[in-house]
Amino acid sequence: MPPLAPIDTIMNPDDPILITGAGGFIGPRVVKGLLNHGFRNLRCLMRPGGDSAKLAKYADQIGGNAHVEIVRGNLLSREDCLCAAHGATVVYHLAAARGEKSFPDAFMNSVVTTRNLLDACHHHGSLRRFVTLSSFSVYSNDKNGSGDLLDESCPVETQPARRGDAYTFAKSKQDELVTEYGKKFGIPYVIVRPGFVYGPGNEGITGRVGIGSFGIFLHLGGSNTIPFTYVDNCAEAVILAGLKKGIDGEVFNVVDDELPSSRQFLTLYKKNVRDFRSIYIPHAMSYFLCSLWEKYSQWSEGQLPPTFNRSMWCSYWKSARYTNAKAKNRLGWTPKVSSAEAFQRYFESCRKKIAHA
Amino acid sequence: MLKVAIIGCGKIADSHAAQIQRVKGCEIVAVCDREELMARQLCERFQIKGCFSDVKTMLTEARPDVVHITTPPQSHHGLAKLCLDHGCHVYVEKPFTLNTMEAVDLIEYAESKKLKITAGHDDQFRPCARQMRDLAKKGYLGTGPVHMESYYCYELGKTSSYARALLADKEHWVRRLPGGLLHNIISHGIARIAEFLTTDSPEVIAYGFPSPVLRSMGEDEIIDELRVIISESENVTAYFTFSSQMRPSLHQFRIFGQSNGLILDQDNETLVKLRGTRRKSFLEQFVTPLDLAKQYFDNSLQNIGSFLRKDFHPKAGMKFLIESFYRSINDKSAPPIPYREIILTSRIMDDIFSRLRSARLENNAVCSTLSRARPGTA
Repeated sequence: MPPLAPIDTIMNPDDPILITGAGGFIGPRVVKGLLNHGFRNLRCLMRPGGDSAKLAKYADQIGGNAHVEIVRGNLLSREDCLCAAHGATVVYHLAAARGEKSFPDAFMNSVVTTRNLLDACHHHGSLRRFVTLSSFSVYSNDKNGSGDLLDESCPVETQPARRGDAYTFAKSKQDELVTEYGKKFGIPYVIVRPGFVYGPGNEGITGRVGIGSFGIFLHLGGSNTIPFTYVDNCAEAVILAGLKKGIDGEVFNVVDDELPSSRQFLTLYKKNVRDFRSIYIPHAMSYFLCSLWEKYSQWSEGQLPPTFNRSMWCSYWKSARYTNAKAKNRLGWTPKVSSAEAFQRYFESCRKKIAHA
Repeated sequence: MLKVAIIGCGKIADSHAAQIQRVKGCEIVAVCDREELMARQLCERFQIKGCFSDVKTMLTEARPDVVHITTPPQSHHGLAKLCLDHGCHVYVEKPFTLNTMEAVDLIEYAESKKLKITAGHDDQFRPCARQMRDLAKKGYLGTGPVHMESYYCYELGKTSSYARALLADKEHWVRRLPGGLLHNIISHGIARIAEFLTTDSPEVIAYGFPSPVLRSMGEDEIIDELRVIISESENVTAYFTFSSQMRPSLHQFRIFGQSNGLILDQDNETLVKLRGTRRKSFLEQFVTPLDLAKQYFDNSLQNIGSFLRKDFHPKAGMKFLIESFYRSINDKSAPPIPYREIILTSRIMDDIFSRLRSARLENNAVCSTLSRARPGTA
């Protein structure tokens, strides 16, 4: 693949770039994209034991004379952070505590790790941009009306613990910390908030569509638009967030252009991957059930954890509209993979996964 | 009102904070973690005022009556002593200490200070475990136990986040425990046996190995399959099984006396009585299954009833243990777990780990001899 057209960046192609979580879901695509953009000095931080084959393949195929260094380390170690961040001009902090159910573990693997990395960057003093990956789940959708626009100006959750979701809590606190370091130490940061990132490597159905925890799939999304972003498109937005001039301190929501409704997605999924029984729960009913669960959880002093609650309902299942206008205008980003093509790739990957299960 | 503090703000501290807040007559006044951010997140989520990153400062400023220690076991002995020095009663998460020497020292130190200490063997206080204890005390088993079987398993698959974290990190604190992974998990299952032993130095035979699953992941240091025989002077015997691979992953205790037996199943929260005498002829085959079915049905109803009365929390045992411990402090009565039981649990664990170490050394020696005997082998 030939290098992409050069973009107006805050750095030179040989300046060192650090990518944490390089072995994760989005990380390898960011590495690949940076190589395609012509950046030649990449340091990829991976957990000990993580599979680096994909990164090595990209380095061989498109790296040319690029230097792709794979560093093994743990972001909980300040020493590892100091080594990894040494001389880095741009840091893509993609490492995340995905799927962690315990609040302390999620917090430790998101917030403490981010603090260690920020301290290391501050110590070295070479940083020009710190890109942190957040999530749509940090927005509070409580006060928005049904169908209102959810964009970067919307308020974030002020009491994230009440959501009952360790990931949301950790991501909210991570965003707070990055903002605080920006104010206190002048760390130049950009926060990228993707919607639901899907693609080969993440074959699950987002909870925004529904949940299968109770033996049968409860379809909760209905006619809601689902804020999908294909992993390659998301990776490109992340890359640009680290390179573009004049966007320090900004937040960018990332969603693709043609977003299907929950019902449309479910129909496509059943047609292209596998058929299964699902029951549609109308919004009023799901709100009532979440409210009931929340009240029971409070009354029973946590006998049932507050996994379902009104705040969570508003964030996940209240109808909203999404926009990628800011990312397009300020980052110059466009989703290169169309939704039709992206879903085709995703469904193919889902079928393969089921066949190998 | 008892003033309570928690040292160590990791995963298990959440359970402590949640259960302490359910106990009447106490208040969490402070939490402490060397990592200030961790202390802050616990304070924020549980609305606790005192947030510290230095233990001495916390003990001096917050002046708690009781301290819960929920740090990795390597620090239990030192921290508990420090708390005792500051006049605090101490609840130490399991495993109580790294070894028996530390356990004995800590208990003697607490006694010398006229303070109370307990170990976090909270599974011993789940509803069915309490029922079993009551039945045994009332003589249901007969004169005493003849044999016990304790299963305490832990699912450690390729997809387990705990396994991934442990396997990826060669410096993980669990690896540095004398008994490794086993040390961090088996004390609940061993304590169940220790409770019913009558002597202080039972004989222990242990056999352990890394499971094929762990070996396939390149791990040969961590032992996750363990079988133990415990015997008291050819009198009371017990088997203990820890497995990361067997399914179902049991948490079960079976105790057999001279009259009857009992099966405690922690996963189903059931207690089943086993009659010592047989029914006549085919009645044994016709009536006994019905009797067992009725017992399971009753257990199920009891569990549903407890749930409806909001008395079926996953950590109900911890709440009961905390309440009992605090009561013993207020009433100046005996602590809920006898000190002898804590020490005996520790002693059995020491013996198990010592046996496993010896076996490994012998095994390595044999391998090394075989290698020398076969020229050309690595």
